Amino acid sequence: MDTQAIVEECLELWRDPYTHLADLPDQGERPMAYFCTYVPEEILHAAGFTPVRLMGAERTITHADAHLQAYCCSLARTDLDMALAGDLDFLEGAVFVQTCDTMQRLSDIWRRNTSFSFHGDLVLPIRMGEETSLPFLVEEVRRFRKAVEDFTGEQIWDDALAESIHVYNRNRKLLERLYELRAEKPGLIDGLAATACVVAGFWMKKNKHNEMLHSLLEGLEEAGPGGDGRTPLLVSGSVCTTPDLMELLLELDADAVDDDLCCGHRYIQGLVDEGASPEEAIARRLWERVNCPAKHQCREDHADFLMHRVEESGAKGVVFFLQSFCEPHLFDIPYLRGLLQDKEVPSLVLETELQSFSRGQLRTRLQAFVETIRGI
Amino acid sequence: MSDNDKAQADKERRKIKSAAAMRDLMLKYYTEAKQAEDTDQLVAWITSGGPVEPLILFDIIPVYPENHGAMCGASKMNVELCEVAEERGFSRDLCSYARGDIGSAITKGGPIGGLPKPDFLVCCNNICNTVFKWYEELARYFDVPLFIYDTPFVRGELPEHIADYSLRQMEEYFAFLEEVSGKEFDEERFLDVAVKSLQAIGLWSEILACNENHPAPMTCFDEFILMAPIVTLRGTQEVVDFYQVVLEEMRTRIEEGIGILPSEKYRLLWDNIPIWYEMRNLGRIFMDLETCLVADTYTSAWTFEGVNADRPVASLADAYAEVYLNINLERMADKMVSLAERFDVNGMILHSNRSCKPYSLGQYDLAREFTERTDLPTLILEADHTDSRWFNRGEAENRIRNFVETLLD
Repeated sequence: MDTQAIVEECLELWRDPYTHLADLPDQGERPMAYFCTYVPEEILHAAGFTPVRLMGAERTITHADAHLQAYCCSLARTDLDMALAGDLDFLEGAVFVQTCDTMQRLSDIWRRNTSFSFHGDLVLPIRMGEETSLPFLVEEVRRFRKAVEDFTGEQIWDDALAESIHVYNRNRKLLERLYELRAEKPGLIDGLAATACVVAGFWMKKNKHNEMLHSLLEGLEEAGPGGDGRTPLLVSGSVCTTPDLMELLLELDADAVDDDLCCGHRYIQGLVDEGASPEEAIARRLWERVNCPAKHQCREDHADFLMHRVEESGAKGVVFFLQSFCEPHLFDIPYLRGLLQDKEVPSLVLETELQSFSRGQLRTRLQAFVETIRGI
Repeated sequence: MSDNDKAQADKERRKIKSAAAMRDLMLKYYTEAKQAEDTDQLVAWITSGGPVEPLILFDIIPVYPENHGAMCGASKMNVELCEVAEERGFSRDLCSYARGDIGSAITKGGPIGGLPKPDFLVCCNNICNTVFKWYEELARYFDVPLFIYDTPFVRGELPEHIADYSLRQMEEYFAFLEEVSGKEFDEERFLDVAVKSLQAIGLWSEILACNENHPAPMTCFDEFILMAPIVTLRGTQEVVDFYQVVLEEMRTRIEEGIGILPSEKYRLLWDNIPIWYEMRNLGRIFMDLETCLVADTYTSAWTFEGVNADRPVASLADAYAEVYLNINLERMADKMVSLAERFDVNGMILHSNRSCKPYSLGQYDLAREFTERTDLPTLILEADHTDSRWFNRGEAENRIRNFVETLLD
């Protein structure tokens, strides 16, 4: 498969993941949904499931408004809406993590109003990276493994889990190589294509994604640098449900040369230690990885990560792409923008809602920002 | 005696007398706290669900931005403080307590000229996860240490690994306080503080239970005001003394048949934090409708089980792990239904509070379950606890009047 074909396939998935996901059971796969990347996907994978990530959808809300107020984020609202409308009936269940207050309550609402076979909850500490919380987190991972085993009625063997950990680590390494290559050969692959290749992995078995990435990287390693002269930017935030933002940047002759997204560079941070006991190693990776803003920033690591990425990537500006009502991210905005300002890096905050997504508005604001950076 | 004089005398008779003692108590507390700024007396800012007993033990003055936020809201000063934070880039969709507090920290604005600067911060996320983001910002702004007391969400029974994690943090908290105060942990004194806290909590539960009586001797709006000491100063003798006086007053009112309203036709349950800037107006509407808000899920959040003398630190940790906002919807529904039965209500009003997601998300489901289990109606009011820009007074009043009319049927 050539590079272009792989990118096209990934983009197609990104534009419409749910039609593809609905076919998975016919292909003998058992899709299990998750929302947050703190879910130990390795455990689900080892139990024979295909972990698939729900990142909302652009849609009119028809069912969820009877359960969630309008002041909650559109990821929660549209995901719940799809479930209640029966659009996610192909799932075996869903796994929730205590990240923000919305997800915490969404778990209960989802459990009470849907009839999927499995409902998983992981209650994670907010004091990630501090010694006090590690034993609690390890136990939580252990309990999650047990809950999955109870559901399937079969034990998850340690060697199966070790194999899944290996698959996931390989995935992280391959994706990290993709980011490295982008830094080494600017313009080699644009932000739209590269991010598509990351997010496509949310909707297929990682084994298949690894094969895909392997072919992609083979092609890219051989290619020369692109050097297309687009204005380099960095996108920071949670998720890009659709490719619109990345497409708009290209239309405006700009490009996301790197990102600080939970559906991008943050997702692949850290490896699971393959020499340690699996549950402890999985817990330790979650505990050590760059914190999501929904976790306590005991080491200021998210801010460090962002600043480091900006510096390394040579981005001339930062676009914060956020869900309206996303408290963890919104709280950090003045602080992060202040840090960027100190380094004379301009930034733009874009808030979106999937049920009333406006590409036109987004384009106007991005255009003004890009023009300011270019000094037009 | 003229009719007017009679009405005045009746009003005087129904007035809650200990409210004045509470104002004195809180005034003294805030005066002392303000005077402590820039002295050797340590001041800590702490979240409303946080373990305050250890601060009392170490002679540290606890200050509650949420209580201050309620004051700013009630005095209609919070919007201008929120705007200060918004000008600095804080989204209008963030909690208005947090925005107002950040604004007040910057401008020293509000009814008491802002809070005294903290020497350190204590944040417990058993009430929401907004608080640690808010306190991270405060820690940056004041450049002071922040102790996070992490309380993972509890579904069903309190699991052992959460209890263990809580206990480890409680011990860590004591060590942190030893370090900042230069004092040593004194178990005997701790037990004394814990016992006083338990006494105050016990008294507070008894006071709230007085409203099981018909007519109710107070409304939950009075409770919202009277709760300030249990939130801020539990663990001190003053609070125990104060609540003893309140309890006596309520019992006397019951004996003498004095209700808070001239006429009590309907009794309702309230859910969520008060709409602080609307208390007076809502009070007037409910009085007019001969409707008493007799109980609520909010003030009873401070009636958790207290300390077991055989395992004082661990039992304190357990109590803080399972507060009302840190449990699943089923447990919340049980609590609502139990309050409805105990207080013999005719329905429930739920304040859908855009500043408080853990309290508000799930309310639609809770309201339906409440009606299924009790056959009682509910009304959901959209508002915000201290940002009046999100409140439509006319619409709310109409909806309340229509709701109470349906109770007639």
